Amino acid sequence: MADMSLDSGLGSTVTCRSAARPAGAPRVLLVIPCFNEEASIGGLLSEIAATGRGYHTLVVDDGSSDATCAVASRSSQVARLAQNLGIGGAVQTGIKYAARQGFDFCVQIDGDGQHDPRAIETLLDAYRRNPANITIGSRFIDHAGFCSTPMRRAGIRLIVLALNGLFSGGRITDPTSGMRLLDRSAIAFFAKAYPADYPEPISLAWAMRAGLTVSEVPVEMRPRETGVSSIDGLKSASYMVRVLGYILLARLVRAPRRRDIQ
Amino acid sequence: MTSVLPSLETVVVISAFALIYMLVLLRKTLQGKFDLYDFMMLSMVAIIPASFALFPKLAYLVSHLTGVVFPFVVMFGALFLVVFAFMHNMTARLHRLERQNCALIQEQSLMALELKAKENGPGGTKPI
Repeated sequence: MADMSLDSGLGSTVTCRSAARPAGAPRVLLVIPCFNEEASIGGLLSEIAATGRGYHTLVVDDGSSDATCAVASRSSQVARLAQNLGIGGAVQTGIKYAARQGFDFCVQIDGDGQHDPRAIETLLDAYRRNPANITIGSRFIDHAGFCSTPMRRAGIRLIVLALNGLFSGGRITDPTSGMRLLDRSAIAFFAKAYPADYPEPISLAWAMRAGLTVSEVPVEMRPRETGVSSIDGLKSASYMVRVLGYILLARLVRAPRRRDIQ
Repeated sequence: MTSVLPSLETVVVISAFALIYMLVLLRKTLQGKFDLYDFMMLSMVAIIPASFALFPKLAYLVSHLTGVVFPFVVMFGALFLVVFAFMHNMTARLHRLERQNCALIQEQSLMALELKAKENGPGGTKPI
C-alpha cells in the first residue's frame, strides 16, 4: 500500500524539536508497543521521564481491552490500533511514524517493564562509537540481569547460529531482544516492510540481507513484571521452526537494492 | 478393460445434485456473496462428476489418454487440481488482504494522531 505522507501533518514536531534537547541533538523516538499493559506502562513512562533526556515517546496500543491507552495518554502520545495486529504490526506503526516525522533514531522498548530506560543512552553511546544501522541491547554479552529460561536460551542459540552463519553484517548474540535502536536507514527500511510474526529475529535477517549493519551493546534486562509471554509450551517449537524457516527464506531471496531501501 | 457405464439412477442422482448445487451457487453469486471466479471454480465440483456421468465414453477416452485405468481416478484428480488451484489463489488473496488490513489499521491510527496534533495546535505534544 502506498504510504500516505503525514510529514506536513503533525505541527507539534517543531515544538518537539525545540522542547527539551539542545539544538542539533538527534531526535529520538521511543516506540513502546503495548497489549494490555495498564499495570506497567505508567511506571515505565515515569521512568523514561525520570531520565530527563527529553525523549519523544509513542505508545502503540495494540488493541488492548484494558486501560492501557488511558494510562499511557496521560504522559505520552498514543497510537491506538483499532484491532490487535501483533507485535510486528504495532512496532511498524511506530517506525512509520518515526519515518514520517523525520526522527534520527527510533528505539523500540517493551511496555512490560523488562527494559530499563536508562539503557537507551547506552544504545545511543554505542551508536556514536560504532555507527551501525541497528544497535541491539543484548542480555548475552555480559550475562547480567535476567537472561531468560535455559530452554529459551538454547532456542536463541540456534537462531544466533543461523543468523551469524547465513549473513554478514554483524555478530549477534541476542536476536530476540526487544530493545533496539534504529538509525534513519533502518527506519526507512522497516517502514516499508516489517515481519508480522516473531519480528525481532526475522527483521534482523531481512535487514542484514539488505546490507544493513547490526551491532550490539550489553544491557541488563529485568524479569517481566506483569503479564505472561505469548510463546510457551508447544508454541516454542512452532516459533523455532517458523523463525528458522523465515531466516533461511531471507537468505534465499534476492537482496533488495540499496536505493530501494533509502 | 471392459467399459462399465453408469446406471440410470447414478446419472439422475449426480445430475440432480449438479443442478441443485449450481442453482445455489448461482443464487449466491447473484446476491454478491461470490464473484464470477468463485462461481466457476466452485461449480467444477458439480460439472466434473456430471460430465463423467453423462458422457461415460468421453471419461473412458480421457482415462485411456492419460494412462489411468479407472475413470473415477481421473475425475478425482481433476477435482483435486481445481480445488488446489482455488486454494492457492485464495491463500494468496487472503495474505494480500491481511497485509492491506494491517496497513489500513496502521494508517488509521497514524491519521488519528495527526488529527489530534492539529487539534492541540503547535504546543500539543512534547517530549517527556
